[in-house]
Amino acid sequence: MMVAKRSVVRRILTVDLPMLAILAFTLGPYLWMFITSITQESRLFTTGPSVIGATLDNYRQLFEKVGFLSNMLDSLIIAGGTVVVGLTVSVTAAYAFSRFSFPGRRALLLQFLVINMFPIVLLILPLFVLMRVLGLLDTHLALIIANSTIAIPFSVWMMTSYMNGIPRSLDEAAMTDGCTRLGALVRVVLPLCVPGIIATGIYIFITAWNEYLYALTLGGRSVRPITVAVQTLIGEYEIRWGLLTAGGIVGAMPATVLFLIVQRRLISGLTQGAVKG
Amino acid sequence: MTDTAQSPGGFALGRRILPLALLSPAVIVTLAIVFFPMAQTAWMSLHEYILFRPNDFDFIGLENFMAALADEVFWISLWHTVIWIFLTIPAQLLLGLVTALILNQNFPWRPIARALIIIPWALPSVVIALMWVWMYDSNYGIINDTLLRLDIINAAVPWLANPDTALYAIILTLTWQGFPFFAVMILAALQSIPKSYYEAAAIDGASRWNQFRHITLPGISGVLVTAVLLRTIWVANSIDVIYVMTGGGPGYATYTLPLYAFVKARANLDFGYGSALAVMFTLMLMGLVVVYLTRVGKALR
Amino acid sequence: MKKLLLAATAVALFCAPASAETVRFWYHFDNPDNPMSALVEKFEAANPGIEIEAENIPWNSYYDNLYTAVIGGNAPDAAMVKMFAQPRLIEMGALEPIGDRLDGWDGLSELQDNLINLTSAQDGERYYLPIQYVVLYLYYRPSMFEEAGLEVPATCDAFREAAKALTKDTDGDGNPDVYGFGFRGGKGGHDHWASLTLSRDGVALDDGMDSAAALEGTQYVVDLFREDGVFPPSAPNDGFQEIIGGFKSGRTAMTIHHIGSANGMVEALGDDVSAAVVPECGGGRWTSFGDESTAVFAASDVKDAAFKWITFLSSPGNNAEFNTATGQLPVTKSDSDGWEGHPQRFVKATVDSLPFAELLPNVPATSDFVNTVWPVNMQRALIGDITAEEMNAKIVELYANE
Repeated sequence: MMVAKRSVVRRILTVDLPMLAILAFTLGPYLWMFITSITQESRLFTTGPSVIGATLDNYRQLFEKVGFLSNMLDSLIIAGGTVVVGLTVSVTAAYAFSRFSFPGRRALLLQFLVINMFPIVLLILPLFVLMRVLGLLDTHLALIIANSTIAIPFSVWMMTSYMNGIPRSLDEAAMTDGCTRLGALVRVVLPLCVPGIIATGIYIFITAWNEYLYALTLGGRSVRPITVAVQTLIGEYEIRWGLLTAGGIVGAMPATVLFLIVQRRLISGLTQGAVKG
Repeated sequence: MTDTAQSPGGFALGRRILPLALLSPAVIVTLAIVFFPMAQTAWMSLHEYILFRPNDFDFIGLENFMAALADEVFWISLWHTVIWIFLTIPAQLLLGLVTALILNQNFPWRPIARALIIIPWALPSVVIALMWVWMYDSNYGIINDTLLRLDIINAAVPWLANPDTALYAIILTLTWQGFPFFAVMILAALQSIPKSYYEAAAIDGASRWNQFRHITLPGISGVLVTAVLLRTIWVANSIDVIYVMTGGGPGYATYTLPLYAFVKARANLDFGYGSALAVMFTLMLMGLVVVYLTRVGKALR
Repeated sequence: MKKLLLAATAVALFCAPASAETVRFWYHFDNPDNPMSALVEKFEAANPGIEIEAENIPWNSYYDNLYTAVIGGNAPDAAMVKMFAQPRLIEMGALEPIGDRLDGWDGLSELQDNLINLTSAQDGERYYLPIQYVVLYLYYRPSMFEEAGLEVPATCDAFREAAKALTKDTDGDGNPDVYGFGFRGGKGGHDHWASLTLSRDGVALDDGMDSAAALEGTQYVVDLFREDGVFPPSAPNDGFQEIIGGFKSGRTAMTIHHIGSANGMVEALGDDVSAAVVPECGGGRWTSFGDESTAVFAASDVKDAAFKWITFLSSPGNNAEFNTATGQLPVTKSDSDGWEGHPQRFVKATVDSLPFAELLPNVPATSDFVNTVWPVNMQRALIGDITAEEMNAKIVELYANE
């Protein structure tokens, strides 16, 4: 009994409290944003944001007047599409990098990095012209493609390093059992990589969800993700703080909910026992 | 362990092609969409090209680059970029590592904690920037308010208007924004370390710290190295937050090299010079990456 | 029966009026309630055959997007534009001259006198059609002035004295809590500096910035911050958000802005906010004319329809509706006369300021001045990195290169 008590106290001290501290740091600004979003705009600069007299007016306006729901749908399509494209392409590419050695391997790996080193603001103009020529301006496809190019290089690198953590002996074992290379990939490596795939998938989703520059330039009337919608609340002479913070709160939800759903798969017990023997 | 070489010819060819086939979608997409525009921009940097004079496109060779080296703002921006990278990344890494380690432990409210951690990362940059501007505000910002109440300072500090504090204030914001990335990536990597290792070590009497040093760190080192590399590239290039919070000011106090390139190209419409700055930045970053990879990247093999 | 239907369809196809022309129009509103749709509906009802696709572009990337679109070959047919962008757009060959069309428009005489001249290009060609305007004036808190026994300052010297008297420490902690003037040191704040500098005799942005009078002006501003401490310490980085917020919350006693913020001010402060013209400095007054116009783009293939749309927006009645949505002042005489969109005292301050309301020089260098040269150098001067003289020298350098 004593042992159990001591370890609970110990756990609280070494785990719960630090976690609470970190969460306080993490959520503090978010809570501040939330309080701002439920304060009436006119009182924001006189009495400041407060919970007293809270109103959901800003949220109502956000959905009714600004039409935020359709913005979120656009963002969802783009981010989701980018995840599908990005994961498919990067998992296969990572497998190639991880399991094979071939001429040009290092050069290709580096090429992916170099692409992301270049400030994308200068790539906007050529990309805009390219999309116009292809007739893809103001379509979801254009943004999925553009976001994929940002996401793929990083994802390839991340997946490669996750796959490197899975011993080749497992592939060999599977192939001696009669699997083809691709079979080994699908049946052995991928399942073990699930945490890595989840993490990479989340990374791609968030990167695409928060992307602003391409969304603004390649989008238009039909395709207006939330990052653009939120920017319209920053006017020339005023910032609509209530709407802006409401938009921020709502905008962070999908990624958080998605993560809540998949995070259990992030922690998998599947690796236990796999490496032994 | 590589594949044995004794394979029939057809299989060998298939083996050669397979990796390239697996790679080709990624390579083709990135080459077409990004590489060619990059090459185009590099070409622009060799010309004098001001966007609102589209008919003047004189080849001036390396003049833009020479001008950059003589430009005081270039050096100021470069210095700030160095501070920017070398403070933000370790801060994000440490906080992310600690968070991941804690989240890997067993405690009852773990699922909620794991989901909430991701929020800073999930918010759009512009919202984050504006929120923190308001928090730093010296008239009614909550940071000054709290510090004043706790008697830590006795006058509100204009965090973003003071050239000595502006850059560091933004670095704090970026740490807040970016540490969840490390937390998530490292958490995923921690999963591939079998619990049995820890159990065995505990039985052998190893302390928690030694367990960390000899089991955890080596186990996640591959992912750690990659994550730091990728994050460095991302942070070096990230200007959204700085641009909204201070626009690079006061004066040049928060200018980084990519921000300078951005301002030159988009605000002043001087695409020739802006491209030159971007090219120089990319080359320098590449240098840093190569050094990093050769020294630390052995873990990547 | 079928043959008849076929024939009828064929006839209909041949004789149908030209298919709807679509005019793509870019705008930026501070009002996310989308009042543009009401105007679009009204126009389309009166002009069947023309369809308006109005797109709200976020303000802080408005011009980035516009230039990209023009260069990339996807420019809109018409858009809201400001004077500072005009030289660049002209040089890009992006704008369609509308002088002749304007002469043929019967609404031309309805516009306030002088507005068309103000928005003409350097060579006299007309590209812009004014749609709204504001003029910058001085906001002040009557209660604070009354308490300190001060009059609204009419000259720069009086302004300085008033600001110093109004900067006080109200809670006894040794630090001021109220500042005399909320100065905007961030981007867009050049109007503040300009009112205190360009008003001086012989000083203009493109000529005379190296004179002693110009130095006096810039030094005056720097001294107000560094010596008198009448600006809040955050001034070098403050944008409109901070100066308006600071004024609304009572942290500053005066600031400079325009009627666009007036309704918000009244909402927050009620009667304890009023406006006056900017003080006279060094022999004259100078205040910023906040312009906004519409223009037709040269690459458009529906220019006539586009022109119809923009003249619709600047006609009596419609212009009032437009400005009710944007919170600025209408450009038509009849709409201005009956204007009830703002409390009278702000309209009066605006109209009183018109005689000395000016635009910055209509040359490409002005864009750089507004975007980078002024903000950076003013900030550096305020924090003490450079002297006032060096700041003025940078401005001279910028305009000399033109």
